[in-house]
Formats: sequence, C-alpha cells, structure tokens
Amino acid sequence: MAETVGDEFKRDRAAARPFSLKNRFIGIARVSPTLASGVIIILAFGFMAVFAHWLMPHDPVSAYPERVLKPPSAEHWFGTDGNGMDVFSRVIYGAKFGFGIAIPAVILAVAIGVPVGLVAGYRGGLLDEVLMRFFDGLRVFPSIILALAVVAATGQSLLNVVLVLGFLDSPVFARVVRSEVLSLRSSVFVESAKAAGNPTWRILFIHLLPNAIQGATAQAAVRAAWAVRISATLAFLGVGIQAPTPEWGAMIRQGAEFMVTGQWWVGIFPGIALIFLVFGLNLFGDGLQDLMDPRRRAVN
Amino acid sequence: MAIPLLVGIVFVTFMLVRVGGLDPVGRLAGPTATAEEFEMIRAELGLDEPLWKQFAIYGGNVVRGDLGESWLSNRPVLTDLKERAFISIELLFWGVGIGTLIGVPIGLRAAFRPNGRFDQISRVLSLLGFSIPTYWLGLVMLFVFFYLLQWAPPGIGRISLMVSPPDHITGSYLIDGLLTARWGAVQSAAAHLVLPVICLAIVSAAPIIKQTRAIALEVLSSDAARYARASGLPPKTVRRLVLRNSATPVVTFVGTEITGLVGTMSLIEYVFAWGGLGQYGLNAIVRGDFTAVQGYVLTLALFSVIVFLIVDIIVNLIEPRSELT
Amino acid sequence: MSLLEVENLRTHFISRDIDNQIRVAEALNDVSFTLEAGKVLGFVGETGAGKSLTAQSICGLLRPPAKVICGRVTFDGHDLTAMPADDLNALRGAEIAMVVQNPRTSLDPLTRIVDQLVRIHQAHAGGPLAASRTRAMEMMEAVGIPDPKNRANAWPHELSGGMAQRVLIAMALMNNPKLLIADEPTTGLDVTVQAQILDLLKHLTERFGMAMIIITHDLGIVAHYSDEIAVMFAGTIVEAGPVSEVFEAPGHPYTRSLIAATPERLKVGGGAKLGGQPPDLYNLPSGCALRTRCVFASDVCATPPPRTRVGPDHDVNCHFAGDLPS
Repeated sequence: MAETVGDEFKRDRAAARPFSLKNRFIGIARVSPTLASGVIIILAFGFMAVFAHWLMPHDPVSAYPERVLKPPSAEHWFGTDGNGMDVFSRVIYGAKFGFGIAIPAVILAVAIGVPVGLVAGYRGGLLDEVLMRFFDGLRVFPSIILALAVVAATGQSLLNVVLVLGFLDSPVFARVVRSEVLSLRSSVFVESAKAAGNPTWRILFIHLLPNAIQGATAQAAVRAAWAVRISATLAFLGVGIQAPTPEWGAMIRQGAEFMVTGQWWVGIFPGIALIFLVFGLNLFGDGLQDLMDPRRRAVN
Repeated sequence: MAIPLLVGIVFVTFMLVRVGGLDPVGRLAGPTATAEEFEMIRAELGLDEPLWKQFAIYGGNVVRGDLGESWLSNRPVLTDLKERAFISIELLFWGVGIGTLIGVPIGLRAAFRPNGRFDQISRVLSLLGFSIPTYWLGLVMLFVFFYLLQWAPPGIGRISLMVSPPDHITGSYLIDGLLTARWGAVQSAAAHLVLPVICLAIVSAAPIIKQTRAIALEVLSSDAARYARASGLPPKTVRRLVLRNSATPVVTFVGTEITGLVGTMSLIEYVFAWGGLGQYGLNAIVRGDFTAVQGYVLTLALFSVIVFLIVDIIVNLIEPRSELT
Repeated sequence: MSLLEVENLRTHFISRDIDNQIRVAEALNDVSFTLEAGKVLGFVGETGAGKSLTAQSICGLLRPPAKVICGRVTFDGHDLTAMPADDLNALRGAEIAMVVQNPRTSLDPLTRIVDQLVRIHQAHAGGPLAASRTRAMEMMEAVGIPDPKNRANAWPHELSGGMAQRVLIAMALMNNPKLLIADEPTTGLDVTVQAQILDLLKHLTERFGMAMIIITHDLGIVAHYSDEIAVMFAGTIVEAGPVSEVFEAPGHPYTRSLIAATPERLKVGGGAKLGGQPPDLYNLPSGCALRTRCVFASDVCATPPPRTRVGPDHDVNCHFAGDLPS
C-alpha cells in the first residue's frame, strides 16, 4: 500500500508536542478567528480598564474652561467636550465602568441562575413548571424597558444597576443549565453516581454542572455584552449615572446636542469604544460555538 | 392559559412601582407638606391599604381601562397612550419590516454555504449590528445626513415645522397625507421617516440574520434534509425543503424579536423626538412619572401578547403538525 | 462483473485541534468487498466500527471533516469515487436507494406522503405526473400500507414508526433501484414491527431483484436475512464470507466474541466476551486493532494481519486465521 496522507500525519502525531500557550492560541485562531479576535479585544479593554491611570494623558474630570469643544489635536487626541475635558482620557477611563458593571452583573446572574436551573432541571415537577412559566411570562416585557423602568423605580445608584441587570439576566443561565440537566438527568453516569450513594448536591455540582459550562460561558459573554449596552443606555438617558462621570453612555448623552452642530468628536468616540467592547464580547460568545462545529476543524 | 399570563402582567406592572419603595406621595405633597397632608394624600391614593388590596384596586382599574393620570401631562394615561400608539406602530412596521426583508434572505444564504465568504462577512456584520448602540447610531446618522450632507431633515418630529400636518385620520402623517392628497405633507413625512427607519432596520436585521442562519443550519442537518440528499433530490428541491421547514421557527423568532425591538424603537424615538409611545414611555421613566410608566409597560406587554397570538395563528396556517387544526 | 466492488476504501476524519495540531481519525482502513446483483450482504459491528460510514463513503454523502483518502468504488461499471457530484446525485435514490433509521423524522414533515413519493420519482425518472402517482400507489401497496388511497394524503407525523418505515421503503423502491442500503432499518421500532419490516425488505429484494446491504449491530438479523456477512471492527472488515460459513466456523476472535455475546446460540470455543473499550480511532494500535483486547494476541499482531482464506469465499484478517482452538 502506498503511503497515504494519513500515514504522514501519524508520524507527526507520534512526536506530539507538549502543551504550549502559543500553539493553543494559534490553534483556536485557526479554528475560530472570531473567538480569537474577541479574546484580543476583551483583553485590550481589560488592559485599558486596569491601567487607565497610566494610559490617560489628562485627568478625565478636570475641566479646562479655555479649551471647550476643541477638535482632535496632538494635545487632545479625541478633542475636548463641552466642559473642556479631554475626551480621550475619558474614553479610556470609561472602560472601568464597562467592566465594573458587566462583570458583577453577570456573576450575580450566574449565582442566581445556575442553582435555580440545576434544581429545576433535576427535581422537575411543579417547581420546574412554575419557574419556567414565570420566565416565559417575563419575555412579554422588552428587556431594555424592564431594566430601565426597574432601575428608575428602585433609585438610580450604580449598585442598583448591577442588581437589576443581574436579576433580569438570571433566567438565561437558569434555562441553559436546566436544559443540560434535563438531557443528562437519566443518563448512565448520573444513575451510577446516584447508586454509589452521592448526595444530591454532589451530583448537581460535581457531576452535572461541568457539562453545562460550555453553554453557560457563551451565554455569560453575550450577557456581559448586554449588560455593558444596557448600563450605557441607562446613562445615556440620564438614569443611573450622571454627567460628568466619564462613562461612555453619559458621554454620548453629553455629545448628543453637539452632533447636529458639528462637534462630532464628543459623542462619536465614546460610542466607538462602546461598540468595540460589546463587539468583542459578542465575538467571543459567538466564536465559542465554532469550537463545537466539526466543519470548522476540517483540513483540506 | 391567557388569563394567568394577563394577571401576571398586571402584577408585574403593579410591583414595578411598589418594589422600588419610592414614594409618590413625597413628590405630590411637596417639601412643605405636613404629616397630616401626607396621610391625606396616602389615603387618597389608596396607599394606606394592604398590598393585596392595592393590587386588587389597581387590577380593577386596569380592567375598566383606567390607567390613572399622568403627572407630566395631567391627562389620563390611556388617552396619552392611545394618541401615540399608531405613530409608533408605523415606525415599527417599516423598520422591522425592512429589517426582516433584509435579514432573512441574508441569513438563509449564509446557512447554505456555512463558513463561506458570504457567511463570514454577514456574520461579522450581524455581530457588529448587535453591538451598535441604537441611540448612538441615530445620532451619527443625524450628524452625517443632516449636518454634513444635508440630505435629511433635522431629527425633530415626524414632519417639517414648515408643513402643516394633514387632518387626523389614522395618526400616520404619511397615510393621512395620502388620503387627503396633501403631497407636500406626504413628502415631508416620508423624508422624516427615512433615518429612524434605517436605524431600526439595521438594528433589527442583525439578530434576524444570526437566528435565521442558525435555524436553517439546523434544518439542513436534520434527518429530513439528510434523507432528501440521500435520495438524490436535486439541490434546488432540497433547498426548497429547507426553506419551508425553516419558516415556522423563523416566524416565531421574528415575532419574539418584534416584542423586544419595541424597546429599541423607544430609544430611536427618543433620539429623533418622534413623539410616539416610546418617547413618551422613556420620558416617563426618566422623569419619574410612574403612572405613565406603568401604563407604558402594560401596553408593551399586551402588545407582546398580541404579537405572540398572531405568530401562533400564522404558524397554524403553515404547519400541518400544529395541535389546533 | 459484480454489482458493487469496493477496493481499499479509506475514509479519515482529518481535523485541526485547538492546539494547532492536525488529528486524524482513521475511521475506515482498507475496506474491500464485493456484492453480486440480487444478493443480501449484512454488515455487523459495534458503534463506530464504520458500517454506516462505509455506506456514506460509497454514496458520496460524507461531510467534512470526513473524507475518502483513497480507494475505488465500482458500481455497475461506474467508478463512484471519480464521478462528478451531479451524476452521483442522480444515481442516489435511483440506482442506489437508502432506508435509514429514524423514519419518522427522515420524512419531510411539511409534505404529504404521496407527494414525497411523487417527488422522488419526478426527480429521477421524470415523465407525466399521473404516472408517478400511479407508481406511488403501486409501491405503497407493495410495501403493505393498508388503505393506500387514504394513507397517501397523510402527513408524516400521523404515521407510526413502522408505517413511516414502510413509506421510506416505498420511496426507495420508486425508481426501481439495483441496490438498496438499509442502515439500521429497524432501530427504534417495536420488536414485532422489526420482524415485519425485515421480512418485507427480504421479500422485496427477491421480488424486484435488488441487491441489499443491511447495516446492523444485531447478529441475529444478519443470520436470518442475509446471504453474506461482513464483520467490521475499527474501520476494517475483519471477517467476510457466506453467512452459513461464517456462523459455522468463525475465524476471527472478534467474530467469535460477537457470536458468544448473542444470547440464544452457538457457543464456539474460545469465544469469550471481549472486555475493554472500542479503540480510539485517533490512535489505533499498529497492526491489528483488536490486539489490545484479544486473548490470543502475541507479538506478531503488531504487524498488519494478512487476509487469509479459510473456506469458500470466506476471508479472515488475522495472523492466526484457521489456527485458533475451536
């Protein structure tokens, strides 16, 4: 038999390389450029958020009254706003709010949603029925409006924004986990774990939960993107965060009036930053599913 | 089935205000009010009753069509809502309609060549569409098309200030203008519609592209599609089979999408000072007019219920499997 | 000339993993067999042995990352591996028809069954619609669907599993195929219905002079319904021959273990049940893939086992073919 393509690869595999972060990243980037670009964008914004104080050329909330509404220049890369504050520094600082709201909100949503989904899926019955009906019912309210209305009603603090987003998002995670648990509940490995005398909590968290992580991670990224968007929307409407806080949505609100008078830089730059972060999170969430798609792995 | 849902909706809108613990009394009474005046207003609003009784009263009022009075407009909330509903539906119709007409074919085409060039590009664009804040898009459009290019009218209202609106028939300036043959008004109304509609179309197309693609891909890998290929049906026939089998989930998704897009539309209305339901609701939220907020949220929820009903009817028409036939 | 000749067919899954390494699953390795017109060949083996993959490779139904690496498939004088996709598509459903598992979901849920029968006839044979309809009625009758006139207008979801499988068989018959591939045709059906469907298939091959490949993991089905048997393990045919020969004198340790594992019958010496897991297709042992689990294995098994003829048309891929204790 002549040597085939397969034989060639077999030798390659025989000399299997040890794990390397570089190969892992290149591998992921080749299977899913989407996922890889998402990771890069998120890391870049994370860097911005953490090292904002070193990266900002100016103080984000110091006004220079003599430099109001100056267009982008060497001194002020993104120009200055209506208070004479440096837009570039404010955009960098804004990353702190993006993460500062999205991360705790998603953690809260996971903390509520995952146990609820585990128990509902595992126990089933009336509890499950009622919960799912309730979640279904919530869908008749547009999520943006519900979030806005509840934050406005509960008092407009940053903490409230986080709490409300976390609560409203928890059904998403409950659903993902529940459907995973439902499909595994009567599988052999759960049955045997039960027969071996494992307590319920152990079956739930040690045996069932790990299987739901892939789906939950993708959702976490998408929901983080949603949280960043909604918190910016709240700030844009003047609910929650007020100007001159260097938050992107609040900055767009400041820039809105200048948009039709030609001082575009005040509102455009924070919007672009917002888009990029949300885009990065969405790329990440969407790219994760590529890893499960055998077509994307095919080599020709 | 529908009754518990409706009760639930009324309950959520009721709790929306109660959960915050924000006291409307303080605002109504003003800073100089005495404790007795406070109590009087509380009693007048029924806030001294136990919670379940308040809910019963509120529910009864809702059923009778009494949504209370708006603190901002000093008019019954129902009147305010009725006046604006059609204005918003017009915008929603064009925006989501165009978004669907763009999104569904793109999603389908992407699914038929998964991971092809068209699929890659449409995927990135749709994710980008997911990520653009609606209000920002509206502002940028105003900057480009009104300020820079001067192609579009300013983003204030639905018709030029120079043009007197046509007589009120439906509430849509476009339709009323056509009905009364006021061509100037028609032109101005159409010009004002363009930017908000494009905004809404872009924002609504993004999720539709993504979901349509996912649905079609799933149908493509279903047993039925695989068997069709295994029996050597021509690619065109297989494609038609996939299209038909995607119809139900796509219609269902677009229905769900519409109910969510009402929120997005409110932001567009806000930016373009559209004067519809959305702008009214957002204003009420921002200014703390909770009676109006309740009415607005209730209207949106009922609208969702109606949309879901319509979706059910459509699905029944195209599905031989449906239980109702 | 045989109806179907498969020579050295190799199908691999070549894909890249997330560590940027190329991984190859050697799913089919040098599969060779022939099938004469009108004969019934049964493929048996455990899940992942490559039975269905063999059928898909023959029909050109592989999807990436699965790929035919080399080999020839000659059907009725045509080389299917070299055939343009359109021609192959025209062949499927006409000359080579398929019956699959999950009949209920394999039918188009939005088309009445008569229209599905007509559709497949029109796609291949063409001709006037009325003729297709008549043929559809005949075939529904041939597969034993009671009251075909009424059932014709049924929707797929209104059919039971067994009835849906009859419809699939009728669809397969519409264009008078020379070869019928039945891929686990009775999995998921009631036991009583299983026998009916298999009897029907057997009867139809005789009536229409078709050859048939039955893919199953049930040795009993092969014993009852086929003329020849091919036992697959880890992507190779380890033993092939006439059914009577193979059951009489199984020459491969794997075949023996399969026979020993069937409850009813035929205890053959040395055929203890195999332990262990199916081999990892990404990392097959050199030589015989069974050697890590085989009680007879010795050093020589690390080299590829030769194909040895042990009886009339009876081949065994084993170093010890014919030498095993019986």
